[in-house]
Amino acid sequence: MAGVARILTRKQSLGLGVASFLLPILIWCAVSYLQFVWHPQVMITDAGDVSYFQVDSRTERATFAAEVANMQQAGLAVPQGEPINPVYLPAPHEVATAFVTSFTTPPLQKDAPWLHESLLHSVKLVFWSFFLASLIGVPLGVLCGSSVIVSRLTEPFVEFFRYLPAPAFGALAVAILGIYDAPKVAIIVIGTLFQQILIIANTTRKVDLGLLEAAATLGANRWQRLKNVIIPAILPDVYRDQRILLGWAWTYLIVAELVGASSGITWFITQQARYQNFDQVYAAILMIGLIGLITDVLLAKLGKRLFRWNAGHSK
Amino acid sequence: MIVSPSHTGSHPSTFSMKPLAVLLLAMASLVGCSKAPESSSTDAAANSAAPVTSQKPLLIGYSDWPGWVAWQVAIDKGWLKEAGVDVKFEWFDYAASLDAFKGGQLDAVLATNGDNLVNSASGSRGIMIMMTDYSNGNDMIIGAPNINSLADLKGQTVAVELGLVEHLMLSHALKKAGMSINDVKLQNAPTNEMPQILASNSVAAVGAWQPIAGQTLKAVSGSKPLYTSADEPGLIYDVLAVSPTSLGQRRADWIKVVQVWDKVVSYINDPATQPDALKIMAARAGVTPEEYAAFLGGTRLMTLAENQAAMDKNDNLQSLYGSSYYVNQFNVSNQVYGQLVDVDSLIDPKLVSGQ
Repeated sequence: MAGVARILTRKQSLGLGVASFLLPILIWCAVSYLQFVWHPQVMITDAGDVSYFQVDSRTERATFAAEVANMQQAGLAVPQGEPINPVYLPAPHEVATAFVTSFTTPPLQKDAPWLHESLLHSVKLVFWSFFLASLIGVPLGVLCGSSVIVSRLTEPFVEFFRYLPAPAFGALAVAILGIYDAPKVAIIVIGTLFQQILIIANTTRKVDLGLLEAAATLGANRWQRLKNVIIPAILPDVYRDQRILLGWAWTYLIVAELVGASSGITWFITQQARYQNFDQVYAAILMIGLIGLITDVLLAKLGKRLFRWNAGHSK
Repeated sequence: MIVSPSHTGSHPSTFSMKPLAVLLLAMASLVGCSKAPESSSTDAAANSAAPVTSQKPLLIGYSDWPGWVAWQVAIDKGWLKEAGVDVKFEWFDYAASLDAFKGGQLDAVLATNGDNLVNSASGSRGIMIMMTDYSNGNDMIIGAPNINSLADLKGQTVAVELGLVEHLMLSHALKKAGMSINDVKLQNAPTNEMPQILASNSVAAVGAWQPIAGQTLKAVSGSKPLYTSADEPGLIYDVLAVSPTSLGQRRADWIKVVQVWDKVVSYINDPATQPDALKIMAARAGVTPEEYAAFLGGTRLMTLAENQAAMDKNDNLQSLYGSSYYVNQFNVSNQVYGQLVDVDSLIDPKLVSGQ
């Protein structure tokens, strides 16, 4: 164990954090801008005498090379082209441009939402779904963790249900809940709630038994033990669990928004993907990532303030 | 509440969804942007009857196909209101719109006649009251660079999405070329992935519709359409399919909806107004008008007069009946569903004549 838990200074820690972002971005840049790294296709700029080549269409690099050789041998015009990446891997600067312009471009259709309005709709959807799941999941999880009877009555079914694929309930959710936001909320809740119950229950079980025994010896009843011992003990950990589970809820957003009437950021992503505007698609994916990251950083900061007594434990 | 494992296994959804549904309904009002259905869950799931009363607007699900996006012109210009009918178009992903119709959440859906038969076979009957268009080149079988005709496909692998229109079109095309679907090896694949699949050199041809077909042609230089829906107009009709309940209760309103269509077709086809129409349609799809213009030509919008002609009951593909009989047979022989559906009961030919 020695040497593993190395203490980093604030500066070092921040630097490594930045590097964790820079590394993937550098790889992306290398793949996009250095032709020898990947570029498996050729965009034809001049078909030469190759009968089946068309200008502005793509071909595999090997096919292109073979045709160049063929034409040279036959003494005909050699085709011209530029090495290029597949259409679904846009370069960083293209995505960056799309990121900015997608916000500044007014919606093409009158009374259609701006991109930030679509995003806000998605954020709200995740928020309400998570709120709803937590309303059930957190109390039930705590009860499961503190009572064997509740645990046995609930957990076997929850264990079973958490393996069921939430998106598969899409058609049923639409049939019951309509075509607007309700079925989407249902899918995120189904995707989050069942994991949540089990995770919170496990966290609750980690309460120091000694504390509970001491409380019992001092005459605390069940309710008092729950209120005065268990809940204060687990609160910081539950808070951290909730942060992780919120991310979980986000991952269900895209499948949830695919059911019912088109809405939110998913509509933007799927429609732009259909027309192969992948720069826009990646820009939208980045937006979701940024929102998630920023929320998590803010929640972590808030957690440090809320649970000062636990500062040594939680990060 | 002790539940035997076998019992739990057979009814997982009924057990969990009911309490969840009740809670969600309560929450729906909190979210503020949702509409709670009036019908109980069993009603909604059991039949396709949309829970509407005559005060509510007719709810139509539409998605990204030029013949359906065309309605956007009528919506933006307020022509439906002018005609005295309250209609609400709700924008969907195509598959999601079919699900919503099957779930009884829509009065009508815009679909291909084949997909409407599939819906109907599963109990969610849609009555086809008009055709918006037929595919006239937007559906394609695309061959790899070394494949020059359908005959070259003999013994080769072709990727299509099984049970969908390109599968039907391939089968029809091969028959016309004196071969059969058994002369090729079929590879099932999602239509969205056809450009990558053809580029991978693992198949001799793929089937796709626009805009994916165009992307495939660009992704593989030298690939070419071997057969398109323009070679057999009428194989694929796109229709407005209405739930029997809605049609029964509000026939007069549906007639008004249908009557607006001619105005839409002429606005789109008239060279003077076409740029404006394209702008409206492209905006709905979220792309530029130039991008959208390419797909307009592959869709042949049908006027009401052409609708009337195609409502003539015969076995030709020039008739909606004939086309639907053909698709019906195809669906059964390819086990999309088990038994032939009663096509005649799914077509109401009178509304396009204003009756």
